[in-house]
Amino acid sequence: MIRGVRAELFKLRTAPGPWVVLGAALLFTALGIVVVFLVSHAGVNGRHHVSFVALTSQYRLRRLVAAGFAVGGVWMSAVVGVLCVTGEYRHKIMTTSMLVEPRRWRLLTEKAIASLIWGLGIAVASLLLVGAMGIPLLKTQGGSVSALFNQAGPVLPGFFAAFALLALFGAGLGTLIKNQIAAVVTILAITFIIEPVFDGIFPNVGRWLPYAASAAVAGDIAPAAERVYLLSWWLATIVLAAWGLVPIVVGYFTTFRKDVT
Amino acid sequence: MLAPVDGSSRRADAVPIEVSGLNKRFGAIQAVSDLSFTVAPGRITGFLGPNGAGKTTTLRILLGLVHATSGTATIGGRRYQDIERPLRSVGALLESTSFHPARRARDHLRMCAIAAAIKTTRVDEVLELVGLKDAGRRRAGGYSLGMRQRLGLAAALLGDPPVLILDEPANGLDPQGIAWLREFLRYLAGQGHTVLVSSHLLAEMAQTVDDVVIIAGGRVRAAGPLSGLLSQIRSSMRVRTPEVDRLLGVLAAAHWDSRRLAHDLVVVEGVTPDQLGPVLARSQIVVYELVNERTDLESVFLSLTGSETPSATAVPGP
Repeated sequence: MIRGVRAELFKLRTAPGPWVVLGAALLFTALGIVVVFLVSHAGVNGRHHVSFVALTSQYRLRRLVAAGFAVGGVWMSAVVGVLCVTGEYRHKIMTTSMLVEPRRWRLLTEKAIASLIWGLGIAVASLLLVGAMGIPLLKTQGGSVSALFNQAGPVLPGFFAAFALLALFGAGLGTLIKNQIAAVVTILAITFIIEPVFDGIFPNVGRWLPYAASAAVAGDIAPAAERVYLLSWWLATIVLAAWGLVPIVVGYFTTFRKDVT
Repeated sequence: MLAPVDGSSRRADAVPIEVSGLNKRFGAIQAVSDLSFTVAPGRITGFLGPNGAGKTTTLRILLGLVHATSGTATIGGRRYQDIERPLRSVGALLESTSFHPARRARDHLRMCAIAAAIKTTRVDEVLELVGLKDAGRRRAGGYSLGMRQRLGLAAALLGDPPVLILDEPANGLDPQGIAWLREFLRYLAGQGHTVLVSSHLLAEMAQTVDDVVIIAGGRVRAAGPLSGLLSQIRSSMRVRTPEVDRLLGVLAAAHWDSRRLAHDLVVVEGVTPDQLGPVLARSQIVVYELVNERTDLESVFLSLTGSETPSATAVPGP
C-alpha cells in the first residue's frame, strides 16, 4: 500500500496538472492577502482607521489565512483529488495503473490517500505564502511577528484538515464522474453556485454541504459571523469525510470496478 | 541491444497461460464464446483473428481488466488479480497510447517501478534494451508511434516477467524494429518465457510464432503448432494455358481436383509442381504460366476465418 501511495504521488509530481492547481491555489491565496492588506491600508488613510496590524491582531492570523482559504485555495485541493482519478481515464493510463495494481479497491485507496497528501501539500504551500507575504506586511506596520506565530496553534489543525478532506472529496467526485472536465465543472458549480444558493435560501441545509463543512472544520479561521450557523468542528469533520468517502465507495461499485475496454 | 539484462540462463519459472470455457457478453453482443486454449512456456504463440474476433477482449480478461461472464483465464494457475506484484510475473503491452503526454518516458517507467518495488536501475536497463536510452528523458507525447510501442514494451519487460502478453506489438515499428522485435521474442522464448502475441501482420507472425490460436466470432477456429496447421492445408497450382479443355481432360484422367477460374486459367488442388510439371510435359500442353499457390499463414487464416461455421480445428503436433 505504501509503495502504491508513493507511486500515485510520483504520478501527481510528474504531471503538469497538479502543479497548475497548486499555482492557482497560491495565486488565489496571494490575491486574498493583498485584498486584506489593501482594505486595511485604505482604512489607515480613510475614515475607519483599521490598520493592517489592527486587523491581524483583531482577527489574528486566521483572518489572513481565511482570505486565501475563502477565495479559492481550498477548493483547489478538491480539484487535485479530481485530477488524481480522472486524469488516468483521460490519458488512458488507468490500464497501466490497473496492470500494476489489479486489486482495484487497493488502487482507489492509494489514490485517495495520495490526493489527501497532495491536499496537505497545497495547505503547507499556502501557509508558507501567507507567512512570506503577511510577515513583511505586518513588519512594515510595526506589528508583532511573535504574536502572529503564537496564534498558529489553534489555527493550523483545522486548516490542514480542511484541505486534506476536500482533496478526498475531489477524489470521490472523480471516482463517480470519470470525465475530467465534467468533474471539475461539478466542483466549481458546487462551490460557486449550489452552496451560495443554499446558504442564502436554506442555510440549515447549506451548512451540511462540503464547502461550508470545510469552513467549519477550519474552525478558528472561519469568520465569526459564519461560525454562528456552521456545524461544530467535529461534526463538520465527520460530514466532510463522508462527502469524500461515500462517493468513493459508491464510485467504486458503480464505475471503478467496471470493465476497462 | 538484444542482450539480456541479467544473465542468459534459461528461466526455471516456466508459466503456462490457460484459458478454459471463457465467455464474455457485452449486453447483446457475445464477444467471446466458450474459448479454450493453452499457451506453452518456451514458445511464441500467435493469437490471430479478424477485427472484432474477441482477441483484445480475451487478452483483457487474462489481465484482469475485463470480467469474464463465465470460464477461467489463468496465468500459472492463478487469475491475474490474484498475483502478488503482477509486473514481476506478467508483462503486458496493450495500447501504444497509455502514457501521459507530458510525462517523461523514464518517469512513466519509474512510476511503475515504484509501485512494483522494482529498482530504478532496471528502468534504465529496459530503456536501453528497447533502444530508447537517449530518448528516455523526452516527454512521451513527443514520441512517434514506434517509440511509444517500444516504451510500452519497456514497461512490459520492467519486472523481467516469465510471461509476456503483447497486443499488436509490431504496430508502428519500422522494418528494423520489426526484425528486432522478432529476434527479441525468439530470444525470450528460447529462455523459457511464455509469449502470447496478437497481431494482424500475418506474414510477420508466420516468421515469428511457433504456435497459433486463430479465433473468429469469439470462438477458436484452430489452435496448435503452426507447422501442423500449414501441413493440413492442401497446396494448389494455378495454370494459365490456351488449351484449357484439353488440360481439364488430362487432370480428370489423373484424378486431380481442378477448377476453371477463367477462359485460360485453371486451379489444380492438392498437387505440387513436381507432380504436375511432368504430366503437363507428357501431354504436350502449352503453358503460359504455372504458379505454385503457396500455403501460407494468410491463406490458412482466411480459410479458417472466412467461414461462418464455428468449427474448431485440432492441429496435429509437428
